[in-house]
Amino acid sequence: MTAIIETEGLTRRYGDVHAVEDVTLRVEEGSVYGLLGRNGAGKTTLLQLLTGQEFATSGEARLFGERSLENPRVLGRTCLVKESQSYPDNVRGHHVLRAASWSYAHWDQDYAIRLADDLRVPLGRRVKKMSRGQRSAVGAIVGLASRAELTLFDEPYAGLDAVARQVFYDALLADLAEHPRTVVMSTHLIDEASPLLDRVVVIDEGRIVIDAEADALRGTAVTVVGRAQDVDAFVSGRDVLRRDRIGGISSATVADVDHAARAAATAAGLELAPVSLQELVVARTGGARGRKDPS
Amino acid sequence: MTAIAPVAPGRRILNGARVHAANPFTTLGLPWLILAAVFALTYAIWRIIAWAASSGGGLDDDAFRYAGGVSWIIFYMIAVAAQAMNQTFRFAVGLSQTRRDYFLGTAAYFGGMALIYGAGITVLAAVERATGGWGMGGAFFAPAFLYDAPLWVVMWSFVGLMLLMLFFGAVAGAIFLRWRATGLVTLLLALAAAIVGAVFLITWADAWGTVGELLGGTSVAALVAWTLPVTALLGGLAFLLLRRAAVRA
Repeated sequence: MTAIIETEGLTRRYGDVHAVEDVTLRVEEGSVYGLLGRNGAGKTTLLQLLTGQEFATSGEARLFGERSLENPRVLGRTCLVKESQSYPDNVRGHHVLRAASWSYAHWDQDYAIRLADDLRVPLGRRVKKMSRGQRSAVGAIVGLASRAELTLFDEPYAGLDAVARQVFYDALLADLAEHPRTVVMSTHLIDEASPLLDRVVVIDEGRIVIDAEADALRGTAVTVVGRAQDVDAFVSGRDVLRRDRIGGISSATVADVDHAARAAATAAGLELAPVSLQELVVARTGGARGRKDPS
Repeated sequence: MTAIAPVAPGRRILNGARVHAANPFTTLGLPWLILAAVFALTYAIWRIIAWAASSGGGLDDDAFRYAGGVSWIIFYMIAVAAQAMNQTFRFAVGLSQTRRDYFLGTAAYFGGMALIYGAGITVLAAVERATGGWGMGGAFFAPAFLYDAPLWVVMWSFVGLMLLMLFFGAVAGAIFLRWRATGLVTLLLALAAAIVGAVFLITWADAWGTVGELLGGTSVAALVAWTLPVTALLGGLAFLLLRRAAVRA
């Protein structure tokens, strides 16, 4: 497979703040990547570094095998949709679509109009006067209808309601089937987006802490529930992501559990429960890390 | 993956210009409206003066030839250019334009603006002359040293001065995109310091006479021609500043 995105030691510091720190990443052609992390973890900065909207302190980003900064050959094949995108005053929804159609060679205007209809975006309205959800939807339409070979979505549906989000997921899946391309999507709604994702990259305090196949990741962690002493015995020496205890019953979320370990846990009378991608990411990015037993 | 032909450079620069045209009111509409208002006020003042003077000793022939109202639209181009860049830069880069293509497109758009305004004001100056100075011997669109100048000099002067102001505005706009208000205040202070410094140097060298001769002895058209290299320098400076501008909310 070909690498669509390659970075080597990509770093962006603002004074003492390490927004993106030593990120070395490879994104393969044709997959959907989830870029997950907390607010301020560096998701937006990373996506802006990839497209040359922001400047690296050190390191380099390459798209389609070429340096991306100020490179019209690769930028014309790349679409970054940001939640924070600013629009000129008085520019209306259909102006945005028209301007986007100039930039992207594969732009599909009919598809954009259809999406605007499905997402109920008032294209005649000034973008500055739109609600947050409608503005997000304009971005989502640009990202989908651009059909750019590399499409980067930064929080594409902040402010969208549940129906609109489902429309977006369905549209993305259907369109990817017809027009395969590489998608990187940053999001907070991990479980909701999880079925779309082939691969997951988790960033925390500017560093990549997880870069793995989504399926493999979902299979690696497990929550065991049972009597406290049985749980204690099972988890000793393992990578415990989270522990809770109520009376004599204890539960622990443990990473890297293989088949043998599962069998051992069952034999020890523990109940096993799957861990969602969201729980895993929360645990990995400091949610309950280091929390002491509340006993 | 199918290799697609990259968008041709001319087309990309056109895209840089077109983001300004998405809403041309602030760059091509509003300045005309304000100029019309300034002209209406000037005309009203002429009428009041003429009416007041009719009971006194009358007016000199050139009483209404030094109205400065039209210079307003020239200086206003600084704000128009800076604002246009602040409005569209993040939008254009957000649509995958390079800073270079955006800047070249913007420069072309500013060039077009200077031509449109220059041509428009020249037409108004021609009407002004044909109507005997709006019936009052006034000179609003081609006042002072342009009063006797041929129309091509009027057009040349407005186009040249507009370009100078637009590209000064482009520098201000690029500075604002990078350093916000702090940058603009620094720019204005530096400009004021440069003017005071120049006044000091000329006074110190006792060269005001020479400066006066130089300005008086050079034709208007030649003076405007001398602004072109300055405009080009400002354009280059604006590009260097913009090339390192990040996209921030």
